Amino acid sequence: MPAYTTPATLDDALALLASHKGQAMVIAGGTDLIPDLRRGVKCPQALVDISRIPELAHIEMTGEWLVVGAATTFAALKEHLAIRQRVPALAEAASAVGAMGIQTAATWGGNLVQAMPAADGAIVALALEAEARVAEPGGAAWRPVASLFRGPGQSVIDPTRQILTHIRVPLPTSPLDRAQGKRWGSAWRRVGRRDSLVLPILNCAVKLVLENASMPYDPPNLGGQGGVPNLVGQVEVMAEDLIERATIALGPVAPRPFRAQEAESFLAGKPLSIEVFEEAGRIAQRESNPRSSVMRASREYRLAVIPHIVSDALAAAAHRAQVGRRIHESLNQRLSGSVNQQSEGD
Amino acid sequence: MLDALHFSAMAISFTLNGSQVIAQSDPATPLLDVLRGELGLTGTKQGCDHEGECGACTVLLDGHPVRSCLTPLGKVAGREVLTVEGLAGPDGLHPLQAAFVEVGAVQCGYCTPGMLLSAKALLHRTLCPSRPEIIAALEGNLCRCTGYAKIVQAVELAAARLRGDAPHLNAAHAGPRPIGGSALRSDSLDKVTGKARYAEDLTLPGMLHSRVLRSPLPHARLSSSSVLRPSSLAEAGELPGVIRILTAADVPGSNGFAYYSQDEPVLPPAGATLRTIGAPIALVIAESPEQAERALAILQADLEPLPHAFDLDTVLADGAVPIAGEHNQLATWDLQHGDLEATLTASDHCLESCYETAFLEHAALEREALLGYLDEEDRITVIGGCHEPNFQRGYIADALALPPDQIRVIVPPTGGSFGGKQDPWPFIATALGVFHTRRPVRLVYTRRESFDASPKRHPYRVRYRMGATADGRLTGVHVRIDCNTGGYDGHGQYIPNFALTASGGPYRWPAVDGRARSVYTNGPKGGQFRGFGTGQSNFALECTLDELAQELGLDPLDLRLRNAITEKDWSFLGHPVGESLGYREVLEAVRPQYQRFLEEARQWNQSRVGHPLRRGVGLAGMWYRFGKSGSVRIEAHAELAQDGHLIICCSAPDYGQGTNTVMSQMAAEAFGVDREWVEVVNADTALVPYSGIQGASRATYFVGGAVREVSTALRSEVLGTAAELLDCDPDSLVIERDRVIAAGADCRGVSLAEVGGEFDRMGKPRRVAGFFDLASAFPAEIRPEYLPLVVTGAHLADVSVRLDTGEVKVRRMVAAHDVGRAVNPLDAEGQIEGAVLMGLGAALMEEVLPGQTTGLSDYYLPTAQSMPELQVILVEVPSRHGPYGVKGLGEAAMLPSTPAIINAVSRAIGVRLRTIPATPERVLQAIQLAPAQQGCYAGPRTRNAGGS
Ligand SMILES: Cc1cc2nc3c(=O)[nH]c(=O)nc-3n(C[C@H](O)[C@H](O)[C@H](O)COP(=O)(O)OP(=O)(O)OC[C@H]3O[C@@H](n4cnc5c(N)ncnc54)[C@H](O)[C@@H]3O)c2cc1C
Ligand code: FES
Ligand code: FES
Repeated sequence: MPAYTTPATLDDALALLASHKGQAMVIAGGTDLIPDLRRGVKCPQALVDISRIPELAHIEMTGEWLVVGAATTFAALKEHLAIRQRVPALAEAASAVGAMGIQTAATWGGNLVQAMPAADGAIVALALEAEARVAEPGGAAWRPVASLFRGPGQSVIDPTRQILTHIRVPLPTSPLDRAQGKRWGSAWRRVGRRDSLVLPILNCAVKLVLENASMPYDPPNLGGQGGVPNLVGQVEVMAEDLIERATIALGPVAPRPFRAQEAESFLAGKPLSIEVFEEAGRIAQRESNPRSSVMRASREYRLAVIPHIVSDALAAAAHRAQVGRRIHESLNQRLSGSVNQQSEGD
Repeated sequence: MLDALHFSAMAISFTLNGSQVIAQSDPATPLLDVLRGELGLTGTKQGCDHEGECGACTVLLDGHPVRSCLTPLGKVAGREVLTVEGLAGPDGLHPLQAAFVEVGAVQCGYCTPGMLLSAKALLHRTLCPSRPEIIAALEGNLCRCTGYAKIVQAVELAAARLRGDAPHLNAAHAGPRPIGGSALRSDSLDKVTGKARYAEDLTLPGMLHSRVLRSPLPHARLSSSSVLRPSSLAEAGELPGVIRILTAADVPGSNGFAYYSQDEPVLPPAGATLRTIGAPIALVIAESPEQAERALAILQADLEPLPHAFDLDTVLADGAVPIAGEHNQLATWDLQHGDLEATLTASDHCLESCYETAFLEHAALEREALLGYLDEEDRITVIGGCHEPNFQRGYIADALALPPDQIRVIVPPTGGSFGGKQDPWPFIATALGVFHTRRPVRLVYTRRESFDASPKRHPYRVRYRMGATADGRLTGVHVRIDCNTGGYDGHGQYIPNFALTASGGPYRWPAVDGRARSVYTNGPKGGQFRGFGTGQSNFALECTLDELAQELGLDPLDLRLRNAITEKDWSFLGHPVGESLGYREVLEAVRPQYQRFLEEARQWNQSRVGHPLRRGVGLAGMWYRFGKSGSVRIEAHAELAQDGHLIICCSAPDYGQGTNTVMSQMAAEAFGVDREWVEVVNADTALVPYSGIQGASRATYFVGGAVREVSTALRSEVLGTAAELLDCDPDSLVIERDRVIAAGADCRGVSLAEVGGEFDRMGKPRRVAGFFDLASAFPAEIRPEYLPLVVTGAHLADVSVRLDTGEVKVRRMVAAHDVGRAVNPLDAEGQIEGAVLMGLGAALMEEVLPGQTTGLSDYYLPTAQSMPELQVILVEVPSRHGPYGVKGLGEAAMLPSTPAIINAVSRAIGVRLRTIPATPERVLQAIQLAPAQQGCYAGPRTRNAGGS
């Protein structure tokens, strides 16, 4: 049997893996796997390329779910108009991965299976409460993305046997939500040693669900310098709203992609205010246990910055929840540049 | 390593540049290797170790830009691949290629193929890309030369043309004369089509591959019984394909290159001490790189680890681990004039400061790559990028104990250097391989190896005591500079002089007490780096002046103007400078923008009290000495070819900065023909005279001077002979295209080819030598060791800083330089733009941590996203001695950018940053350590923040 196959269907792919009895491995974009092969970290005898299986590269929005084939590239995610509008944190996280020439190959599924503690795709998936569909010869099942990670670089998915086929994200504005006056907002914040092609010092994704949200208002000049909207310092106008639920995901602050659950519970039922966000940031800081990295930043720096990026992201999410109508315009601008830049505005 | 890819070969067919091809390889082989190897298409470049970190290898796969180094061959089966070779259509260049050439977006050209393809994919998606969209499309393609500005501009131009709303020739740039008009680079065409053959692109039949066994330890002693453990040597020597394993005993001549690095062996003998990670131990020469690699894995040297230190404090302490030299010191330089202590005591203000910099890596996109072989005259020939082929020839001759005329060094198109490729070691190693095998030998460093073993910019610690009167006149300066030269000399012996020179700047100092020394550590060896030892001091000086201005409550621009020297003044060096000086003009040139930036930042900050984002504006100046030491007589040759075109022979290697073009422009101007009529033969020791050592900034002035002289001389020979043929007065003749014609109505003329024929009949040589000689301007008796030729410049930076995270964004910069005369304004701008970004890297991100840094994944070079909005101002205060009024530029332009940015950040956060790079962590630390009253940060954000 050839050492490199490119099956056209999921069933064929699973069958190929099975026939190699653990000696063949899935390859999607190869951006992690090829370097691992060179280093001898992984030594499969054959590769099964899943990137040409149509259903695995499909993006679909049903009423309640965004369903993404696991072999979808980050380039496809960040350019998808509906994702940019309705799940902006996902588009932002996608455009933070490496740089264009990486995003065209790197897949969301590969990012999750590679299971690095600061994987941009994993952090955003956690905050969006995404679920993963894992298929193996006996069948397939959905499970929370949060349950996929075992440790640094270790996933519960065995790519010599199993295939992560889809990732689904509950969509913000279901009709029921709207009827109940709920609004959702997601946001992304990342700090790095430079603006692109760099692994994060810290990354953070959040989702806020508001109840009894007030009418959207027109924010003062959202189009900041460099196309980056200024989302800081504009939140006090939202004070009447209440947070129903919040998610906060952070990396790399633990051996696995991390949810700051204490900070999340603190937020439930709180009003929107900068003090609340800052307090959530401080709680997230207490929950986090980052390590020092000589080439990126020390533990101390990471700890010092966590409260600020968490509150930045919460402020941005709150803002988006309230001004959903306007947000995609500025977001389009923002995504055409880099989302890695600091927020800045006039 | 390479062995990990071990699937059996498959036949994989795909469409390559429109044609069907079949590759027969291991399906996990990176497409890059298949393209460059089996398929022989070398236009696609490799800049990192198949890590996806540089983008040089970008190709289009079904229209999408991908890293070909991470794309396994198996993935392209049945798909379409486009490489740079397939970009041009049947009717000529793709509009992107044309635009890249026209706007000057191509310097060394190593990033160009990848850039073109990333841009092509963008233009396929949209013909109206916004600037942020262009930047996002290119953010994964590193360029070390251009600073990205002209590349972005080229994409805009190409997009406009494809939309049909831009003119087809960028006529605005084409001047009427060869010089002063922005000539298109003579070699860009080959670089945008993938035809240019860099050293790594050349292959010869029977070529062998050389790899280097290097020390993994920072400080270690080799076993005294043998360099390599005999059993490992025997085992490795028997591996298939391994031809030779060379150690110190195989160096026939002197085992060193003392003029460059007085204590560095070519290969260490048994018992030798190895002072850095990456110090070479042995050379393996094999039929294939993989076979050489296998031998490396087997070879073992018995190394006894010794205590080591990377930092200045440890090696300078009493009882410190001895590394080399007396008390670990290599060289010192002193400069004293005036009574410093008295003037400082009498000064109204006296300020102390201490600044520190990091090891920097040149990170030219092309790694060290060389090809050695025996040429048709049996000379040992090495092709490789370097700054002075004649010097390399000399080092090789010494090491091989051969006369220099049996050695030949040729500089091919080179993918950047910035001083890094001045290291003779790889040249000697390559030649040694040819010497022992009599076969062609290729040596290419891995990127990792380049980080470990190539020379670095020296980290400095600069301490100032500086005095001034209350109204801002400088009274005196006390400066002490420690330069970390790493484990070996590598020109560190000359560093103190340059360090000290730059530490005074173009300012009037009534009293000076300066001392600089170079100090050994176990860090990577130091070496030339754009500005050779001056950037670090200038950073410290210009930041300290900013501190002083702040302390005195003076405008930093005024402080500099008040103290700027003129040509007549006694300079910091203790004598006047030897060239016209445009510093005042440069400072005045940035003033309007400076005031605008300041006002905008002030308003922004004022309207957002307590906001976590603060803006700051910084200014910095510089002077840079581009004068020479040693002989000041530079030679070049000119020849009238058979068909009458002009051949210039000189040695001003072009590693991307454009000397080929500049030389042809100067020759054309002097000879009186179009530039197309000039052929430049450059940097081949068998064909051209010795033109003296080149730092990048010296070529235009010195070699350009010789080229002008020789072209002028040949012109008068030509006109004299033509006058005889035409029987008229030589003064009445002009050269027009390929003919000499008599001015006036009768249009009599004779072709240059005919004049050449007449030369032959008369027995007159077609080739003449010319000299640029400054000896009369600077008589030997009064000549300082280095000619005091200086250039000046000033930069502005407008930054924003997040006070709660320490993140810095450089928003805008202005760079003004006195270039004397811009021979090629487009190229001068390009040099400055590239230098500004390199200075930004040094200010904010770049740092080699010995033993930690592995390559481009953790040494952060600026990307297109790092690029500020940049305005370049060329100030032209003509030089007195240089050809056409030119001055040196290439290196100097990097100097002010780092301190301008750091001053801006310091002003924004209200605290002085004294260590670079100013990473987010360092910036945040500075903010947190600042005494409350010093910082302008009003504590944590309050509810009333914002207010916009
Ligand atoms: C230069 C560079 C920069 C990078 N920058 C970033 C960054 O900024 N942020 C970031 O998060 N990551 C970054 N990465 C990492 C990498 O690009 C991502 O992790 C990528 O998403 C991995 O996806 P892939 O499709 O390339 O996976 P592959 O390399 O193909 O596979 C990775 C692993 O997952 C398995 N696998 C893949 N897909 C499946 C599946 N569907 N089912 C089962 N197993 C599967 C494979 O067997 C393999 O073990 C960078 C990588 C490079 C080379
Ligand atoms: S060689 Fe492919 S990214 Fe560097
Ligand atoms: S021109 Fe871009 S790297 Fe040299």
